[in-house]
Amino acid sequence: MATQIENSTQEPRSSSRRSLTATRPLMGWRTVDILTIAFLGAALGVAFWGWGVFYNGPVTALKIGYAPLMGLFVGPWFLAGVIGGLVVRRPGAALFCEVVAALVSMLPGTEWGATVLISGVLQGLGAELVFAIFGYKAFGLAVASLAGAMSAPLQWGFEVMSLPAGGGGWYAEWVMRDKLVYLGAMMLSGAVLAGLVGWLLVRALARAGALSAFPPGQEHRESHAV
Amino acid sequence: MLRDLTLSVEPGERVLLAGPSGSGKSTLLRAIAGLLETADAGDLTGSVTVDGVVPGARPGAVGLVLQEPGSGVVAASVGRDVAFGPENVGVPRDGIRAVVADALAAVGLGDLALDTPTSALSGGQTQRLALAGTLALDPSVVLLDEPTAMLDQGSAKGVRDAVAALCSRPGAPTLVVVEHVLGPWVDLVERLVVLSDDGQVVADGPVRATLEAERERLLAMGVWVPGEGPPEPVAVDPALVTPWTTRTSPALTAVPLVVERTTRLLNGGRRTRCAAELTAGLEAVPGSLTALVGPSGSGKSTVLHALAGFLIPTTPDAVRVTPTTPDAGPPTPPGDLGAADLARTLAWVPQWSSSTIVAGTVLDEVLATSRALGDDGSRDIEIDTDRARALLAALGLAQLERADPRHLSGGEQRRLAVAAALHHGPAVLLADEPTVGQDRRTWAALVGLVAAYRTAGGAVVAATHDTHVVDRATVVHHLSPPAQAPEVPAHGIPLVARCGPLALLGGALLAVPAGVLSPHWSVSLVVLATQLVLAVVGLWAPGPGALARVRGTALRMLPGLVAALSVGWSTWFLAGRDLDPALTVALRVLVIVLPAAVLIPWIDPDRLGDHLAQRLRLPDRPVVATAAALQRVQSFGQIWSELSRARRVRGLGVSWRRPRSVVSHLGALTMGLLVRTLRAAAELAVAMDARGFATAWSRSWWLPAPWWWRDTVLVALSAIPLAVALLVPL
Repeated sequence: MATQIENSTQEPRSSSRRSLTATRPLMGWRTVDILTIAFLGAALGVAFWGWGVFYNGPVTALKIGYAPLMGLFVGPWFLAGVIGGLVVRRPGAALFCEVVAALVSMLPGTEWGATVLISGVLQGLGAELVFAIFGYKAFGLAVASLAGAMSAPLQWGFEVMSLPAGGGGWYAEWVMRDKLVYLGAMMLSGAVLAGLVGWLLVRALARAGALSAFPPGQEHRESHAV
Repeated sequence: MLRDLTLSVEPGERVLLAGPSGSGKSTLLRAIAGLLETADAGDLTGSVTVDGVVPGARPGAVGLVLQEPGSGVVAASVGRDVAFGPENVGVPRDGIRAVVADALAAVGLGDLALDTPTSALSGGQTQRLALAGTLALDPSVVLLDEPTAMLDQGSAKGVRDAVAALCSRPGAPTLVVVEHVLGPWVDLVERLVVLSDDGQVVADGPVRATLEAERERLLAMGVWVPGEGPPEPVAVDPALVTPWTTRTSPALTAVPLVVERTTRLLNGGRRTRCAAELTAGLEAVPGSLTALVGPSGSGKSTVLHALAGFLIPTTPDAVRVTPTTPDAGPPTPPGDLGAADLARTLAWVPQWSSSTIVAGTVLDEVLATSRALGDDGSRDIEIDTDRARALLAALGLAQLERADPRHLSGGEQRRLAVAAALHHGPAVLLADEPTVGQDRRTWAALVGLVAAYRTAGGAVVAATHDTHVVDRATVVHHLSPPAQAPEVPAHGIPLVARCGPLALLGGALLAVPAGVLSPHWSVSLVVLATQLVLAVVGLWAPGPGALARVRGTALRMLPGLVAALSVGWSTWFLAGRDLDPALTVALRVLVIVLPAAVLIPWIDPDRLGDHLAQRLRLPDRPVVATAAALQRVQSFGQIWSELSRARRVRGLGVSWRRPRSVVSHLGALTMGLLVRTLRAAAELAVAMDARGFATAWSRSWWLPAPWWWRDTVLVALSAIPLAVALLVPL
């Protein structure tokens, strides 16, 4: 009997394509989980701010041409949600990480004022939703890309909404076709610049031995132990 | 790491734990504290009991002080930091005050004001603060993990005195100290336990008798045994580390200099203070060793940074180097050199040697600078590789050639950093505490290598508190902490600076509906005018400083102005080239951004934490973690520039003309920053769990989160623009 149990615990190791999940219970956040999300969020928040400065320069040039294409450059802002979800793999990780990042990037002053905080919630919710749909069990490249892409729609809705009495978001006055092109560009950017890049970053961090306390670090060890 | 280890310690006993590097001393301490699985991975068998129960049963029963000062700092002020443990176990507010005062007095920090910033403490004070933090939970066991390894003599003595005072109190806790420099602890402990290379107890008994009996074994392990002088440096072939060119004159000279550091204050102002002062001239003569000594906080590292050109002294050309290039020009400040010229002339071993890592294997790490400089084919790859292997062998790292340098221990990384700094033959080596964390064996190898480099004509400038290194120096510079000008009290305090974080955040958020609901630019214009008047009201105060506040706000509005222009343009372009909607969206942006630019900078992270948890009832643990992270945001900027400098001095420059160099530079810095961030989070998790954070489901809060009448005023004022936006169209 004892050998059987050992065999059954061996099985998931051989199938390298399945993601490891966080320790049970999923809502049992350890201190290191909470701190890692907060610290990653803060570090990425600084990066967000830096990206905002860059975005304001060269990307503004693009706005002079066909503005909806600047959606192609929003991906980096979705990184915190994707990375937070991929590293800690617990419910709320993506949302928490993205909100902390938004909070930090807001402090030095940005071109979006306090809306940054709202954006953080909207983007984080999008990524969180994807991880939730997969039951916090799948954390491969496809799920990461989907989480990156789905960080966009709520944020897009906030930016392009127009109110019946007049008023609305930044791009309320655009026609629907331009708004939709903008959505497509944002989702593509999210899938690549947040999803793919975030997945690669997490893998690189696991290789660097920086994620030993988390499932990605465990995956890396097991794939190299054999 | 550890296997079949059985150890039993009586209540009140004081134990010193010794053994070679890598014998699992720190692991054993974490096991006793019940924190093995907090941030490490691995298989755990066996059990630890404290007073008959598992270590976590009573939060804080086992206190732990870590080696790196500051790694366990939880809060921005001294009082908050000590209160952290009692808060976690739900001690009521009035009780915490007495506990905090007692704990600080017990470690000799009783005269510090409770709101002293933790960032203003020296390394020794920070370690004593960590001890006070554990005492606040009335521990029955206190564990010290090389608590003085990174401190100068004076600070280390201060820490030991605090421990001695603690031990002499009635009902003193059990003490377990891990150290590899045994001498200073002999009078403080009763029992010595020696671990072997593979984590077995090989000796255990009364401290003096065991030291006597095990002397030879301990020396062979590399432990620093009291009464034994420094080991003889290992002889290393100078040909391994010969500088690129032979010199007779110093490659680096400095006249007396002052480095100032400017910090941005929460109130939008700036404070410039003296960070370090070099009172005598300095010449890196070939073959010399210049030691920079002084207590922590005296600016040793800062002077090294100035010598390397990373920081510019008040007289910009106080430091001059003669570049080691075929067509060497006149002496220039090191900051003006390109990466390649800088690397040929100077090498730098930082205090955090993990931050200079630029390659994926130990061998590549040693070769990185030589490769970067040898792009033109001027170097022989095979000879270089052989020499790199010989260097690694000399430092006891040969078997790690293919390992990932980021996986090495701190002591190994430091030796690797020295090898990597010397391989390409720079004229001057600038080293920041190169011998920290070395046992006798690795110390002898490291000092032997540096001696060989000096014999071969290299010059060394080292910041150090290692007296054995200072003994070998040709010149010693004593630095003292620069005198600080007293802080000028603020004259008038504007309304925004008197308001709580939630009112400030709420005020900034109220601007969002005000902007979104303005239907037309004519309305937005009225709203914006109202906001400008309110901004003046909020920022005004008698006395100087008003101008700085206005300037700061204007600066933070710049991105918003750019955004308004670009959003306006794109709308004009895409919505029928009509000026009307374009103006509407542009003004909408300004309406949303202006209040944030005025209010957000005045939010204090720690107080934000207090308010989010107590007023908004957000869950305690994420709130505390977020406040701790916000507090360290400043340090992320410092890590980023340190990583960037480290790459530059290793010859890995960036040029906008070579996009690949920019991409690899940004990638390396991002990875470096994230790795350091994750490590800091893991360390802090250990320190926090040692103080009861793991089970802090219902914390108490030492400081209240009051809502003042002025907060109500601020929110009411911030609501005026929204009211204008809604009422004007009617």
